[in-house]
Order: sequence, then structure tokens, then C-alpha cells
Amino acid sequence: MGSQMTEMLKGTLEGIVLAILAGRPAYGYEITAWLRDRGFSDIAEGTIYALLVRVEQRGFVDVEKVPSAKGPPRKVYSLNAKGREQLAEFWRTWSVLAERIEQLHHNDNQHDEGA
Amino acid sequence: MAAKWIETLVGSLDQKRQYKHHMARIEALPGPYRNAAEALQRYFMYHGGILDGDTLITMLGDFVDLWERAVADGTPVRAIVGDDPVEFAETFLQAYAGKQWIDKERVRLRKAIDAAAGDNGEEKSA
Repeated sequence: MGSQMTEMLKGTLEGIVLAILAGRPAYGYEITAWLRDRGFSDIAEGTIYALLVRVEQRGFVDVEKVPSAKGPPRKVYSLNAKGREQLAEFWRTWSVLAERIEQLHHNDNQHDEGA
Repeated sequence: MAAKWIETLVGSLDQKRQYKHHMARIEALPGPYRNAAEALQRYFMYHGGILDGDTLITMLGDFVDLWERAVADGTPVRAIVGDDPVEFAETFLQAYAGKQWIDKERVRLRKAIDAAAGDNGEEKSA
């Protein structure tokens, strides 16, 4: 993934992860695998892990430790009410941003055609 | 009782115990994971500036969990830290940024600029 993509993703990754957790509870490895399957191929598992730690500290998710056959218990994250509010806010912000950037893109294209 | 004054001198004994426990878990990791974890841990110490022991212990515990999990899942080191380990290290630290020494300076900077700009503080956003 190019560095521009990485930079752009930085600001949206939290919203993306909250959106995934809105579907169903998940642990870090699952979320990373899910993202990789959908073309976010260069996302480091540690980055997702750090993000989950952060959203946990900000109170957006509930955490349950589930015993695993191998290794330490897995931390399963689920979105709580505060997290849903945060996600709704993310989508509102995203819509505004996407609309404005699309507008710039549109104007830019028109400019090119007129030249 | 006797531990009380010692703790004020050297920090919480319980925290020390947990710290040693977490460090022992890092030492027990298989080669490449241990090397990666130790290199990151060194960077945390230089960069982090985390002020309070509780946050430090929580961070270290989460950090070791990540590596033990990686060993159990067979996730390669590179898949954990990504292309840029510095980026990963700093993202990880930011998750615990609530109590860093720099916070005092952040507050001081905001107050200084408020005063310089003549703001009365009523319109400050979070």
C-alpha cells in the first residue's frame, strides 16, 4: 500500500474498526485478517492492537477475556453505547468530508475539460 | 506498615513485582519475538516519558500479551510491527498518552497562547 494510502487511512482507521465491531464482537487477529481480506493488505496487526487499546481506554468498547486453546486469553472487543455514538459521529464527519472532497474533484475535472 | 515508607522511596513494591513479571515474560519469548519486543521496549523507554507507574505497568502488560498472542498464532514479527516499526511504536505509545510528562507542557502552552491571544477561555473547544 502506498504511503499516501497509509497516511489517509490513519485518520479513518478508528472509524473503520468501530464499524467492524458494530457488526459483531471480535478480537484483534480477526479484525486484522478481515481488513487484509478486503484489500488493506499492509496493515500491521500491532497497529490494530494499539488502536483497540486506545478505544478501550476511551471507553468505546467492552472487553471480555476468552480462554484460548493456545497462548494467553484472547481479548474480545464489543462496541458499547458510547462506541456507537462515536461511530455515528464518525459517519457524519465522513459524509461531510467525502462530499467536500468529491466537490473539489468535480471542479478540478471541469477545469481540466475547459482548458 | 514497614513497606509504606520504603514504597515512598522506591515506588510501589507491587508495581515492581508486576514489572519484573512482565519483563520475565518478554525474556521467555522465542528468539525473534524476544528480540523484536526488547528492541521496541528500549525505544519505549527513550521515547515514552510515561509518568505514572500504573500506566507503565498496564502498557507493558498489554505489550507482552501482544507478543505472547503472536507466538501462539504464529504471526510473523513483520506482520505485527509492519513496514515501519517506529510508526508502530509511536502509535502504540499514543494509546497510553493520557499521562505523559509532556501533558504538563501541553497545558502550559495552551494557557500561554490563550493569554497571548487575549482569550477568556469561554470559546475553547476540547
